[in-house]
Amino acid sequence: MAQSNKHEAIERNVFFLIVLTLLAVSVGGLVEIVPLFFQTSTTTAVDDKGNKLDVKPYDPVRLVGRDIYIREGCYNCHSQMIRPFRAETERYGHFSVAGEFIYDHPFQWGSKRTGPDLARVGGRYTSEWHRTHLINPRDVVEESNMPAFPWLNRPADFSDVQDKMRALRQVGVPYSDEEIRTADATIKAYQNEELGGIAPTELDALIAYLQGLGTALRNVR
Amino acid sequence: MLDSINADFTSSFWGLYVAGLVTISLLVCVLILVLNMTSRETGAPQVQAHTWDETLQEYNNPLPKWWLYLFWGTLVFAVVYLAVFPGYGTANDDRGARAEYAKETEKFQQVFDKYAKVDVAALAQQPEAVATGKRLFLTYCIQCHGSNAKGSPGFPDLTDNDWLYGGEADTVKTSILEGRAGVMNAFGAVLSGDEIKDVANYVRSLSGLSADAARVQRGEAVFAANCTVCHGPDGKGAASMGAAFAALGAPNLTDNVWLYGNSEAKIIEGVTRGRNFDNRSLKNAMPAWGEFLGEGKVTLLAAYVHSLSQKK
Repeated sequence: MAQSNKHEAIERNVFFLIVLTLLAVSVGGLVEIVPLFFQTSTTTAVDDKGNKLDVKPYDPVRLVGRDIYIREGCYNCHSQMIRPFRAETERYGHFSVAGEFIYDHPFQWGSKRTGPDLARVGGRYTSEWHRTHLINPRDVVEESNMPAFPWLNRPADFSDVQDKMRALRQVGVPYSDEEIRTADATIKAYQNEELGGIAPTELDALIAYLQGLGTALRNVR
Repeated sequence: MLDSINADFTSSFWGLYVAGLVTISLLVCVLILVLNMTSRETGAPQVQAHTWDETLQEYNNPLPKWWLYLFWGTLVFAVVYLAVFPGYGTANDDRGARAEYAKETEKFQQVFDKYAKVDVAALAQQPEAVATGKRLFLTYCIQCHGSNAKGSPGFPDLTDNDWLYGGEADTVKTSILEGRAGVMNAFGAVLSGDEIKDVANYVRSLSGLSADAARVQRGEAVFAANCTVCHGPDGKGAASMGAAFAALGAPNLTDNVWLYGNSEAKIIEGVTRGRNFDNRSLKNAMPAWGEFLGEGKVTLLAAYVHSLSQKK
């Protein structure tokens, strides 16, 4: 058999080479990623057994708190993804399921734990604890190496929260017109009911966000 | 098996889609290898027709044998892998991982469950149980109470045998199991600034701390009118008025043990704004751990916490 010369056809035609390369590298994504967009467990609020979860889009205060979480780089040290191992579920609670994150754009799963996982931190500590801890972690946990975030004790900026909600609606978060229109009233109500009328600081917004984390599947291993 | 995975997919198409693409890509790899099979010819190596950079030419050699066998090897591996692990579109088989997880959880649950109804005070005498309780404490409790259990401002010291809700072993267990919600109402709207300062001085004097004598005298009347309902007529706390009142959690103000600090400013802050539990912002609260930890672990924790103040 003569030595094959067919490879020349690809090597001498750059466009053909590009097309074949793209085809080859896309197979993995087409098989492993694309079907996830069409699975009930990854696109709707259900747990691993198919039970419906009470997952709601972030209210305006929590949404701003979430952006502070991202701005301060909390995700660099804190994951939000409890893996289905006993050692993790003993400490943090039920392992995370995809349905809990359907309104997270982008999700905050993180990839490194210098601090503990925060996926189910909601309701675990008092808000006073969070306040003390964020201003100076050493005040409550002597051994902590978490940096202090004292500057968060300043008024939170809610001026663009409606734009944020509209932007999230573009990527599929079901905020109603009503919810967007009344965002300011929602913030005002939070201010009056929980903060005694004092305008929410960035600490308040961040704590509101943290206190809501993982509560859809709470207290179950 | 096809049904269970298709139940998760929004359409049964996707099972076939995955299986189809996997099969096609494997077949294409095989096809490329087979169609290009060739053997090395003896004699001078064949040179490809093109020339680059004036003199640069390429041999047209077959694929190296070691590389070719590795390629075949990966194809065989892929087929074996698909047979052993679920990856063929239709398989929703976790290879027993969930069952194993449930079994392990059950196994450890039993270890802890056997402590659920054991008497806490008796358990506190068993070194092994206390050691287990300590390890649980280091995981779940140190964030507020500290690794030495000595607490921090707003979070009680568990080693000093001074208790807000009562220190009996079973009461400690109830506190962990069901949580506690502290109630100290805000008096900012009820009392004037001067009255609050007076009562703060009076409260300081109860613990023998330095206080303005004139204010202490006036503060006593303010205290009698507003504070005795919870803190007791002599300020010795709710628990001093009998077990029925202990659940109020109002602290003994005469023992110089302070949850939020003993400075005049801190006391004024507490009286003015209150230290009220609030269902949503969760202030001044001990979270309930019963549901999350289960009664077995809570009993072990209570035994450890109880043992801390028994040593003295």
